[in-house]
Amino acid sequence: MSATTDPNQVELSSPPFDSVSSVRFSPTNPSHLLVSSWDTTVRFYDVAANEQKSKFDHRAAVLACCFSDATHAYSGGLDTSVRELDLENEKITHVGSHSDSISCMNYSRDQNVLITGSWDRTVRFWDPRASAPQQSSHELPERVYNMGLVNYNLVVAMASRLFHIYDIRKMDTSVQTRESSLKFMTRALACMADGQGYAAASVEGRIAVEFFDPSPQVQEKKYAFKCHRQLIDGVDHVWPVNALAFHPVYNTFASAGSDGTVSIWDLKLKKRMRQFPQYHSPVPSIAFNCDGTKLAVGVSYTWEEGEEGAKTARSPSVYVRTIGDEVKPRGWTGS
Amino acid sequence: MAKKKNKQLIRPWCWYCEREFEDEKVLMQHQKAKHFKCNMCPRRLNTAGGLAVHIQQVHKLEPENLPRIENALPGRDGYEVEIFGMEGIPAPDVADYKRRKEIELGLNPGTITQPQNKRPKIENRPLSEDELKAQLAAHRALMGQSDAAPSATPEVTGAVFGAPPQTYMSGPVPAASPPTAMSPPGMPPMMPPGAPPFMHGAMPPPGFPGQPPFPLPGMPGMPPGPPGFPPMLPPFAGSPPPGMFPPGAPPFPPPGVRPPFPPPPFMPPGPIPPPGFVPNGASQPPPMPPGASISPPPPGMAGMFVPPPPPPGAAPPAVSPPPPSAPGSAPPSAPPSAHPPPSSQSQTPVEIPPLTLPNPSLAQTNPPFIKKPTVLKWSDPNFSSDEVRSRHPKYYYRKETASGGAQASSTPASDEPRGKKRARAEDFL
Repeated sequence: MSATTDPNQVELSSPPFDSVSSVRFSPTNPSHLLVSSWDTTVRFYDVAANEQKSKFDHRAAVLACCFSDATHAYSGGLDTSVRELDLENEKITHVGSHSDSISCMNYSRDQNVLITGSWDRTVRFWDPRASAPQQSSHELPERVYNMGLVNYNLVVAMASRLFHIYDIRKMDTSVQTRESSLKFMTRALACMADGQGYAAASVEGRIAVEFFDPSPQVQEKKYAFKCHRQLIDGVDHVWPVNALAFHPVYNTFASAGSDGTVSIWDLKLKKRMRQFPQYHSPVPSIAFNCDGTKLAVGVSYTWEEGEEGAKTARSPSVYVRTIGDEVKPRGWTGS
Repeated sequence: MAKKKNKQLIRPWCWYCEREFEDEKVLMQHQKAKHFKCNMCPRRLNTAGGLAVHIQQVHKLEPENLPRIENALPGRDGYEVEIFGMEGIPAPDVADYKRRKEIELGLNPGTITQPQNKRPKIENRPLSEDELKAQLAAHRALMGQSDAAPSATPEVTGAVFGAPPQTYMSGPVPAASPPTAMSPPGMPPMMPPGAPPFMHGAMPPPGFPGQPPFPLPGMPGMPPGPPGFPPMLPPFAGSPPPGMFPPGAPPFPPPGVRPPFPPPPFMPPGPIPPPGFVPNGASQPPPMPPGASISPPPPGMAGMFVPPPPPPGAAPPAVSPPPPSAPGSAPPSAPPSAHPPPSSQSQTPVEIPPLTLPNPSLAQTNPPFIKKPTVLKWSDPNFSSDEVRSRHPKYYYRKETASGGAQASSTPASDEPRGKKRARAEDFL
């Protein structure tokens, strides 16, 4: 397949044994990558050397991970526990726990706080250095599926197509509550690199681009479009959009679907800039690195066909694609 | 004329970006607009060469600093190859594309590349007594049960495996009847019959003489379900030789054969269902008709398996164990969990509470698709694929009270059975 022979792309040599749940790059080192997986591990890679530097075993499948600084990361999953991972010494410290699976997490470097979202319908804030690490817990109407964080804006995407937007300095009330402009379950969320808004995607191959500013002029700019679908014999096959990621420099964004494709979109022109050749399996997670030169692509089965599909699924892979001008919008002036 | 034959399968595609098109006219328009457009003036050229000449002559650019072809895949942005529609594509790229297309469409290797008209004639008529006998003899010989067989070399047996009938003639099996009688009766009709002969070289010989290469009913330690073939195995590998099934057998592919669409979960080969495994998905619908087998990843269309959205509070799909309200006195006797897949280590016969909506008033329903027929790959409006997956026995994690932080947010419905289960789990340990 061309995906493996592509000179711009390397496949990590020791991928997880079961589906990838999340891939995250380091905030400071452009070649450090964390991969959490349903095989109960979080793996820490140096993608430049294509080397697995350390591995963290958990008691249950891991759904979320994130870096805090160059040498520390956090993880959470079905065992409901928030763990701190010391990437250098390969040590795990228990920080606290939710009362249901942890689905997503983000770290705010401005506030030095870890934010976790869970199916127990709370978002919790943690400071692992404090004697009582859990700083606060915020009740929500539904199970938290995804979170996005840019500057002080925290977007929480929940089941039942609900969205809450918070200012993390003032978490007692949400700044905005919205219902998704998409008609189907929210599957992915990412905040724009320029902090103006976010993109959300649904299981019905569709992406909505939304803006924070509630003024009518700005809200007018929001839009949604179809993607990750294919017309086969007059029947439209529609795959979930599993992941979104904004380019840290150009503010273009990538979407990944269960159809195994990754596309790059230009937010302003509302155009697709690039579609990479199809991968062998669905793409559950993607991430740009901190300087925007690499895109990590987790490739593995995403349970759309339940256990049956797992039997015939190909073993998971993690690809790291070196990207260049294909993600740069036309007429980019460097602002 | 092979090109014509492929027409339904391979549509015209653009060498530069590997996009597909309805016909070559559109493709040429696309190439003009996307790849052969001069970026210094509005002019659109017909070919890469034309564009190069245009840029050199009109815009006076040296040949060595021509801009790359726009919007092209890496490595395909040069002027060396003269592409015009589908003409001029380098042969290795055509072959590579076809191969990928086959994989994408879930076809057998070679179905596109190999002309299809070479398939052997297969007669579909009831077999006479004599023919059946002859086939049985041939089969016995193959299986090493008759005296004539031991001379059969692995190569020969290998070649016979799922091979077109003529192959029998070359075999040393004396009992082979005339070719007309050799129509494989048990062959499922939806199996692509024209499997090209080149792949038979790679066929493994049958495992042990006298033993059919699929799990026998009741064989201990056999994993339920089709043996885990990697998806790209030639679909005939391991298929029992023709004659294995009486002609009246239901048209299911024999176990072990990987048909181009999702295999029937644990379909027993004949009328005798193997005792000792109850498929986890017993409540699921039977295998889909082959008509939908064109979806790109072979199991792709199984998205249809996803049952319709459950009413709020009802047991969600894909959670096989009974609801927690099942009588607590009979711990492991729940039939669906009695034979869980052996692969996972966290197996316990204890039931898993189904997913429940924490707030039924917020229950969602998917709007219908009006404009055109649509297959939604994830159609549960209330639970994500991750949530459903987390309740699978392989992944399910039982929470402990010791973990602390158990708060009022957990629903009482799921709390109560959890307590019971803990007790049971201890019994087991």
